[in-house]
Amino acid sequence: MSDANELVETVREALRVVIDPEIGFNIVDLGLVYDIAVEDGGIARVAMTTTTRGCPATDYLRDGVGAAAQSVNGVHRADVRLTYDPPWTPDMMSAVAKEYLGFGQ
Amino acid sequence: MNGVSLSRWTMSYFTAALLALLGTEVLMVAGFGFPSHGIQAPETLVLVHLVAVGWLSILMCGALNQFVPVLVARPLVHPELPVVALALLISGLACLLVGFLRMAGYPVGALPWLPLGAVGLTAGFALTIWNLGRTMWTARPIGLPAWFVVAGLVSLAGVISLGTIFSLALGGWTTNSTLMRLTSAGIPFHAALGLGGWLTFTAMGVSYRLLAMFMLAPEEEHRTSRIALLTGSASILVLLVGGPLCLLILERSATHPLVISLALATVSLAFYGYDIIRLYRTRRRQRIELNARMAAWALGGLGLATILLLVVTISGEIDRRIGAVAFLLAFGWLTGLGLAKLYKIVAFLTWLECYGELLGRRPTPRVQDLVDEPRALPWFWLYFGCVGAASIAALLDGSLAFQIAALGMLVATAAICKQFISIRTLGSVPASMLPDDAVARLRLFLPILQQSRR
Repeated sequence: MSDANELVETVREALRVVIDPEIGFNIVDLGLVYDIAVEDGGIARVAMTTTTRGCPATDYLRDGVGAAAQSVNGVHRADVRLTYDPPWTPDMMSAVAKEYLGFGQ
Repeated sequence: MNGVSLSRWTMSYFTAALLALLGTEVLMVAGFGFPSHGIQAPETLVLVHLVAVGWLSILMCGALNQFVPVLVARPLVHPELPVVALALLISGLACLLVGFLRMAGYPVGALPWLPLGAVGLTAGFALTIWNLGRTMWTARPIGLPAWFVVAGLVSLAGVISLGTIFSLALGGWTTNSTLMRLTSAGIPFHAALGLGGWLTFTAMGVSYRLLAMFMLAPEEEHRTSRIALLTGSASILVLLVGGPLCLLILERSATHPLVISLALATVSLAFYGYDIIRLYRTRRRQRIELNARMAAWALGGLGLATILLLVVTISGEIDRRIGAVAFLLAFGWLTGLGLAKLYKIVAFLTWLECYGELLGRRPTPRVQDLVDEPRALPWFWLYFGCVGAASIAALLDGSLAFQIAALGMLVATAAICKQFISIRTLGSVPASMLPDDAVARLRLFLPILQQSRR
């Protein structure tokens, strides 16, 4: 794995501290993080969404993602972009998150 | 802007509303108003307006100030207005209630209480309609749930217009024959627009979105939902236009528009019920929380109240039994739904207030960690059980049995309020998860200290 890819995975791991408060699970496994890239100069660019548009927690989630990404060694600045294209659906969750929420029982 | 701010005064609205609910239940336990007094007695008017305005309408306004921005993904156009509206609503309601007490013969002074009450309530509701209406206008085109809210607000405008006319007539400020005719025969329209058009229809719209959000059910707009909206809106329109038309222009009885409106409302409720059952069935979240389980009981209360209303209408018993039907609608459906959703909303807002800015900086608890469902559940069961018992007692004219059941409702509501206080004070959160400045942040019912930063 290259250094850049390793840094992306480290950022992804750091984002697991951010939870969707209502669902109660980390945003990475919920599938709310669409893309992570780390550019030269330690600029982390994160594309993310929320479970529902207009959620009052949106700004807190975006700020929290920025703070978590910046906490990673090698990341000097985080640029978090919010997108609703494509809109989030529960199918985007990881198997762990689906099991936590009791999908398919 | 993608996120929406917290509405600072929502918790104050909820506190005022819950105090009104507790006050209403104390009066019912004491045998004040229906069913110990007649359905149109001044004592019953005190009770009815304390629950309809003090509890349900203030609760609804507080919730809409927070959730209309969620429905349309835009912040409130005038975030400063809710506190002014709340002050006007509370003072207007206080004057109105004193006016009814004066009608009942209580020595409360000779001020024009009813017109004063009308001024306060009209101003408070008008500000709320203006603020919410403008917010939705800026977000055009709006989704289906928001259209339910629009219809509900139109209904509210009708309720306050009629209420103002009644207050001026009963307060002796007008003897205009048209207004007097409306006052003597317009009460069923006032009540139907209030409990049905404003409170029920708005709750239906908000529930489409909230239940889908909380249960991870598909948020698709179905044809059945559009039929529910159209027939419900038509039902409200018949009340708003057909009522005055029959009473004032055609000079006929109010029966026809009321029956047509009921028929349309029944169709709307049937399609809404179908949608909600589909929503519960297609939810992705199998283990649903207390708020969604209790909301199902409230929805059952709506179904029962609708069937009961149809039965008493067809059997010609409506004049004798409308009090019991209205009770089941107000306490089984609207109050049940309100308490169930408050259990979630209070926890969610408290979480945002205490932990929102800590996200990404340290581990945070879940919203669900702020509540203690096993402790709250028995009180919700007691509440719904006692509402059922009180409804039967009201149907059978059993005043004493009604008062005993109301005592159970009061105990249950007080215990649920204690749970809300526990949520607000982070009583269920483990010490290791408490925010560092928890004591400084916690404000039980005052405005939220820190706004979202954008």
